[in-house]
Amino acid sequence: MGGPPELRNPDTEPPAFAHASEAELSRILDFYAVRWEYEPHVFPILWNTEGEVLESFAPDFYLPDMDLYVELTTLRQKLVRKKNRKLRRLRELYPDVRIKLFYARDFRALMLKYGRLALAEELSGTPGQVTPERSYEELVAGWAGPSGEAPGPVAAADAPADPSGTASAATRRRRRRRTRLAPRPVAPDGAGTGR
Amino acid sequence: MTTPTDLHADVAEVLVSEEAIQARVRELGQRISDDYRGRNLTLVSVLKGSLPFMADLMRAIDVPVRIDLMEVSSYGGTTTESSGLVRILKDLSASIAGEDVLLVEDIIDTGLTLNYLIRYLRGKNPASLRICTLLDKPARRLVEIPVDYTGFTIEDRFVVGYGLDFGELYRNLRFVGVLRPEVYSSGG
Repeated sequence: MGGPPELRNPDTEPPAFAHASEAELSRILDFYAVRWEYEPHVFPILWNTEGEVLESFAPDFYLPDMDLYVELTTLRQKLVRKKNRKLRRLRELYPDVRIKLFYARDFRALMLKYGRLALAEELSGTPGQVTPERSYEELVAGWAGPSGEAPGPVAAADAPADPSGTASAATRRRRRRRTRLAPRPVAPDGAGTGR
Repeated sequence: MTTPTDLHADVAEVLVSEEAIQARVRELGQRISDDYRGRNLTLVSVLKGSLPFMADLMRAIDVPVRIDLMEVSSYGGTTTESSGLVRILKDLSASIAGEDVLLVEDIIDTGLTLNYLIRYLRGKNPASLRICTLLDKPARRLVEIPVDYTGFTIEDRFVVGYGLDFGELYRNLRFVGVLRPEVYSSGG
């Protein structure tokens, strides 16, 4: 079901981090010479009866050497229900995909370990937000099923359509107008892949 | 961060007592001795946190053993905005080529430092390379690394003592404890 995910960005496209905490994690991974890719894959997780993708999930990082996806959220624990639901859905549909969710408390602990707790406070939640959540078009760009067609429909009565995936055109335009963080050069070749 | 006047007063809870540590270190030492009998064992310890563990563990091992020490820089260990890449601050003092190496760690959480060290040490062609850690905090793992000898698997809390520090302090506590949150919240 669903078929293999497509690469979302060409290798030459540098990442534009959606959140400053993601940029910080990329620096940590770089520091320890762990190769990473930023949002390289998009996983459709909800389709309508016409087979159109209604909702997708693009984990923040992929660590190719560990074959592990990492999703980072700095939202407070009570606000991560939607993300947890997406994660459950992803695990149901793609059981072979290994993914780890880093919550705000995990990120805070990481910063505490590295003596940068003050930074964690700065980067957590809305203040650290530098780009909007990916629009539906951005998320599913490049998606095609195994035969180049959209994957088959999935009954998901328990999962309401994601607002980020069904936003009006005006909302999507508004989101795109928001400031994006200038990408930090993370690799000499600008490939967005850590060393 | 101000220097505390009473280290014990800053500890909210003793997670692993001195007695439990010593008993477990003796068990680990016996297992390691049995596993490495007749082999060329070199213990490699990573400064600074694993120093007390290394000192106790090596004395609990009853087979011939060489020791060596390494130190690597930690992320955020500088005051500059960009910390760059991890650096070997102190390298091995002797070759480990052909040796059976046991890397001795104080704690494994994300596994990032250990992952780097394993790749580094494998490049020096040891006969074997295994991992021994006093504490394992699997909830925080980013890089899955098989650990051969584990002292204690602990919950996801920030711990100090028995080599583990906060702001370079608390290493000399004889137990592993949890700091009162206000200690690191104010010291950030």
